[in-house]
Amino acid sequence: MSPGETSTLPEAPSSAELAALAVQIKLESLAMVSIQGFGYLGQALSAGETFAVLFGEEIDHETDRFVLSPGHYAVVYYAAAAAVGLLDRHQLAGYGRDGALLEAISTERTPGVDLTCGSLGQGLSGAVGYALAARLAGGGRRTFAFLSDGEMEEGQVWEAAMFAAHHGLGDLVVALDANGSQVDGPITDVTTIEPIAEKWAAFGWHVEEVDGHDIGALRRAFAACRADDRPSVVVARTDILGRLRSIPDTADGHFLKLDVELEAAIRAELEGIGRTASHA
Amino acid sequence: MLEPPYDIVLKPYGQALVDLAQEREDVVCLGADLTRQTETDLFRDTIPERFFNVGMAEANAIGIAGGLARAGHTVFFNTFGVFATRRCLDQIAMAVAYPALNVKVIGFMPGLSSPGGPSHQAIEDVALMRALPSMTVVDVADATETRQAVRAIAEIDGPVYMRLKRGEIPVIFDDDHELSLDRAQVLVEGAELTIVASGMLLAAALSAARLLGEHGVDAGVVNVPVIKPLDAATVVGACAGTRAVVTAENHSVVGGLGSAVAEALAEAGAGVPLRRVGIEDRFAESGSRPYLFSRYGLSVQRIVERAWEALGRDDSPPAAADVVADEGTYAPV
Repeated sequence: MSPGETSTLPEAPSSAELAALAVQIKLESLAMVSIQGFGYLGQALSAGETFAVLFGEEIDHETDRFVLSPGHYAVVYYAAAAAVGLLDRHQLAGYGRDGALLEAISTERTPGVDLTCGSLGQGLSGAVGYALAARLAGGGRRTFAFLSDGEMEEGQVWEAAMFAAHHGLGDLVVALDANGSQVDGPITDVTTIEPIAEKWAAFGWHVEEVDGHDIGALRRAFAACRADDRPSVVVARTDILGRLRSIPDTADGHFLKLDVELEAAIRAELEGIGRTASHA
Repeated sequence: MLEPPYDIVLKPYGQALVDLAQEREDVVCLGADLTRQTETDLFRDTIPERFFNVGMAEANAIGIAGGLARAGHTVFFNTFGVFATRRCLDQIAMAVAYPALNVKVIGFMPGLSSPGGPSHQAIEDVALMRALPSMTVVDVADATETRQAVRAIAEIDGPVYMRLKRGEIPVIFDDDHELSLDRAQVLVEGAELTIVASGMLLAAALSAARLLGEHGVDAGVVNVPVIKPLDAATVVGACAGTRAVVTAENHSVVGGLGSAVAEALAEAGAGVPLRRVGIEDRFAESGSRPYLFSRYGLSVQRIVERAWEALGRDDSPPAAADVVADEGTYAPV
């Protein structure tokens, strides 16, 4: 599928359909970022599958809440929201431009975004507030928070994690994109955040740890979260360059720079993956 | 208005908050390990299902408050003023002020009312909160205003920072006093000098005006419980016709009431000599309230001296008599 087509996902999509959605999300993101020639494309390449499973299957868009803690992942959020009809896809072309509705780092001015979170490490607390409010209102409404691994350096994440487990907020689910990348480079060069899964478990959370580029594994992980009374986290191990061969290993995945050739190469590779996915 | 030494009462805020929450299901109370100190043990014991102790995690508490407010709750978050503002300024900006949510941040122990030294003395909280767009900043003077303020700030559809004295709260105003969040109040008319005061320094301002009057200076007092948005019209109106203005606040002279009044007078072209009484751009130390208020110039004497200076008097200013506050009463230093 190429940018410009409208996805019509069935109620119960197959893994192949979700894989195709992930490719569509990445292609839409590439199109948005390529207008300026630089941007947060790596975040879409690492988290495309997670967003496909969340937006294509796991989240009930009528009732559930979604918090995007790292606001610079806005590009992949916009692409996913447009793909499932939450956002007018014609607005995507304005991404990041002066005066546009779709801000490069999302705020709640942006259609569909209901929490401003660009300052990292704050989203989980807001999600906890939502989950607490849902419980006060009688339950039946889940809260999803998307976090990135670099945010775990902020102490507020752990304040929120501790609180959520203490209050048994079982309707709270964190999708953690563990792509190992932050502004200054690999997280391992900056500080040690491992062992990630053990840390969340020690804070009283139900933890699933999966290959974040494996749609089937992500689906099984989120399904297992539904069955647990504790707050849950899905640690999605991913590659900031989306395991694409077309991008040099030396590229700064956190803030990719694209020239015309690189953009074309990435598009060709993604479209190839898309054709394979849709025929699977 | 009553006369010093003033009677004191306990927990006017805590009781008013419970009263409000019993009428309004949307009111939720958050704390940060200072439940009794913030008078919210009353709330915890009366309405436990809407009380959440977040623990020593102020940043998280602000984020949770934002989430609750977005879901329709009116949230009161209570802790000491230092922790409520210094520890989580970014969180208040992003999770509360930017989205203009219904979160009331209540900061106890303003200025030098804490004996706890620089770690516990909120000397710049008003400046920090005043700088945030959409934030209303309230500093009330006594128990009567405190009770009324709880209800009044709950009716504002947006974020509020309110600082409150902890512990024994003086009663300066009769029950017929009416707090306004929109208007500053001219409590005493004065033709020669205007003292503009907020919060815990209102009592000192009233005593200073009385002393000045006894020495031939017709001094007025304006009570400013809402520092932002400042009722510039009333403040300028009271000051413009007088020869000098003294502001008085239990806060740094940088960024608080004194700054707000200076901005208003300058923009109005009032051209009145101004002196600011407050903490003079320095950190203080541990000590009792009377000791610290006296040492750092939050006193009747200091207001009188600054007034004398602003009026260009070269004789000695009158000396304030020590008011001895008996057990169970309150008097300004």
